Amino acid sequence: MYIIKGGTVHIGDKRVEQDCDVLIRGRVIEAVGKNLSRRDAEIIDGRGRHIFPGFIDPTSAIGAMGIPTSYPDINEKSSPVVPEMNIRYAMDPDELDNQEFYKSGITAVALAPGNANVIGGQMAVFKTAPMKLSERLVKEKAGLKGAVTADVLQSYGKRDMMPMTRMGIFHLMDKAIKDALAAEEKDKTQGQRVLSSVMEGKLPFFVSADLKGEIDSLLHLFQGTKARIHLVDGFSFGGCVNQMISQGTGLVLGNVSDLSQITRHGMDLSLIKKLTEAGNPVALTNSHNGSSEGREVLLWSGIELYRAGLDPEEVIKMMSLNPARMLGVDDRLGTIEPGKDADISIFTAHPITTYAAKVEHSFVSGKVVF
Amino acid sequence: MKQTLIQGGTIHTMDEENRIFQGDVLVENGRVKAVLPSVPHTEDMELIDARGLIVMPGLIDAHSHIGLFDFNHQESVDDANEMTDPVTAAVDARYGVNPSLPEFRAAYERGITTLLLTPGSGNVFCGQAFATKTYGTNIFDMTVKAPCAVKIALGGNPKNTYGKNNRLPMTRMGIANVLWDTFQRAKEYMDLKDKGELKTVDLELEAILPALRKEIPCKIHCTQHDMLTAIEVAKAFDVEFSIEHAWGATTYMDELVESGCHVCYGPIATYRAPGERRKVDIEAVSELDRRGVNVAIVTDSPILGIESLYHHMGEAVREGTDPDRVLRMVTINPARILKVEDRLGSLEPGKEADIILVKGKIGLDTDAQVQLTMMGGKVIYRNN
Repeated sequence: MYIIKGGTVHIGDKRVEQDCDVLIRGRVIEAVGKNLSRRDAEIIDGRGRHIFPGFIDPTSAIGAMGIPTSYPDINEKSSPVVPEMNIRYAMDPDELDNQEFYKSGITAVALAPGNANVIGGQMAVFKTAPMKLSERLVKEKAGLKGAVTADVLQSYGKRDMMPMTRMGIFHLMDKAIKDALAAEEKDKTQGQRVLSSVMEGKLPFFVSADLKGEIDSLLHLFQGTKARIHLVDGFSFGGCVNQMISQGTGLVLGNVSDLSQITRHGMDLSLIKKLTEAGNPVALTNSHNGSSEGREVLLWSGIELYRAGLDPEEVIKMMSLNPARMLGVDDRLGTIEPGKDADISIFTAHPITTYAAKVEHSFVSGKVVF
Repeated sequence: MKQTLIQGGTIHTMDEENRIFQGDVLVENGRVKAVLPSVPHTEDMELIDARGLIVMPGLIDAHSHIGLFDFNHQESVDDANEMTDPVTAAVDARYGVNPSLPEFRAAYERGITTLLLTPGSGNVFCGQAFATKTYGTNIFDMTVKAPCAVKIALGGNPKNTYGKNNRLPMTRMGIANVLWDTFQRAKEYMDLKDKGELKTVDLELEAILPALRKEIPCKIHCTQHDMLTAIEVAKAFDVEFSIEHAWGATTYMDELVESGCHVCYGPIATYRAPGERRKVDIEAVSELDRRGVNVAIVTDSPILGIESLYHHMGEAVREGTDPDRVLRMVTINPARILKVEDRLGSLEPGKEADIILVKGKIGLDTDAQVQLTMMGGKVIYRNN
């Protein structure tokens, strides 16, 4: 049992509690409030520190690549539509552990198939700290991953296979969904059951889309359906904000530093405010184009949003509660509240407002990992 | 004789003493004329109010490929890697640059006034790097110094370029062999030339002579144990050199310090994996700096956005480096590597007036914003 005493506690939903204690018992947070005490609790001094819920990267490639390899485990490129694939079987604990994600405050990632396929497979949420695989799996089948970017064309067009064009991409996506919906329940393949679940709004669909045309087409295809669509990367979101608001589309903003995306797209990151004000879920990821970079860049993207005028607590929410909700794991992750998993980072300062902010301690599932 | 007075700012000189004080900077004919606690102003001076702002020299990114790579279109352009032979020492990066790309503007809007633009790392001898200002329309007019360095690369990049064609070098052994052999031939060529016995001109070897004569450094792309190969060969031929990227520097700290090299650290945003990515340790810059190594922090832009220079500086600060030392790593330190410290890198009389006014401290305050960029005494950007 631990009590983190007297810190500035960032709940994760934009609330901030000053001089606040956090009581951790076993795997979970037992209490959050002032002047908590338990006879047998180990006290951790949180005074002058900022306490955050563990950050979550909702679309990570690293951890499931299977490096070194010529055939990354995230891309089953044998067919462009493979909703039946389950990333859980590609999860490589050592690859994930090598990242030391918790040193940047990231305590969970959703591993996601890459961008080689129109529909690449199902995502799964894992803790980033070393522990038994059964304990670090938070949720499998947490989302379906797809892509409508040039990468898909690279995978198939060059082999003279559909899709060679974006027409082909959307045709395949449309056909897979229509076939799934048309099939009798008893005749549905495993993949068709997954797609039906997407269309019933039960399973969120995370789709990499980069250019404006790609985003417009994706939104058009799903307009009027119950499907919960989250754009991944989405660097051209700025031109699609109104449509996204009207359809409640989410955004997992890709690594903006990779290949100069801010300059390339002339991105006005302040437009993200319109999305958050309308209640559209927004999260950040280390990845771009289905490939992850280092653990540092999640904060970098958050800092770029802060520089563009977003409230620092709004940015923190994009790294904690928002991704937890998008992945349907907010019953366990995303905020510092009683009953939730004790995934907590103690920072020396606020990492969105100053670079001189370092993780001093990291708790994952109630254990001190760092 | 036009004079501009930048008044009342917090001046970070980046000079030898690293002085920081409230004061004025007088600019005349494109150069810094005076840096003093107070400069009396006369009526004909143009005044720039710097109260509440940090006044410092323009930033320098000492390892960039802006203009050589173009990611602004569906198909990316690579004019940085002439991967037709492992030794293309003579190719000149200036001829690969498209000066119209938006990354140049992004650079000076963030206070980055000078870039070292270098060929990529696909070859062992990659070509000639040069230093350029970030504002202008013609790269040859923008150029500060050319050539500025001989770019060399070790490790996975040249291996993968030639290995897939079953050509030398397929291995690190092969790379070392190309290095030794090429430097040796260049040295023999230089000896013949100095004796006046040269029969034919060899442009590849000619391009290496300025390094052998210590007029310019070799910038050597390497990480982890490749750094030891770089140090061994560079010392054998007595060239000045900088270790570029330098992942794993904490493992080879003593060797780096003892070698007398410069270090250009960065970029760091990579996943960790066996091989060259196994250790990424920007915390190294603090100890390198303390032990007297001239360290620059670099981005590899546009592979990483130029805005990430701030983030890279910030990560060094996060890992414990003094923010005022980190500012040196993007100003006077890289100016020394480029051997342009007589012209750029600090606010001292006689230097070119590449000056930025910043709200907040870059590398510490995440929201630090450049309010004004001056290049050669001319205001080229104001944040409105």
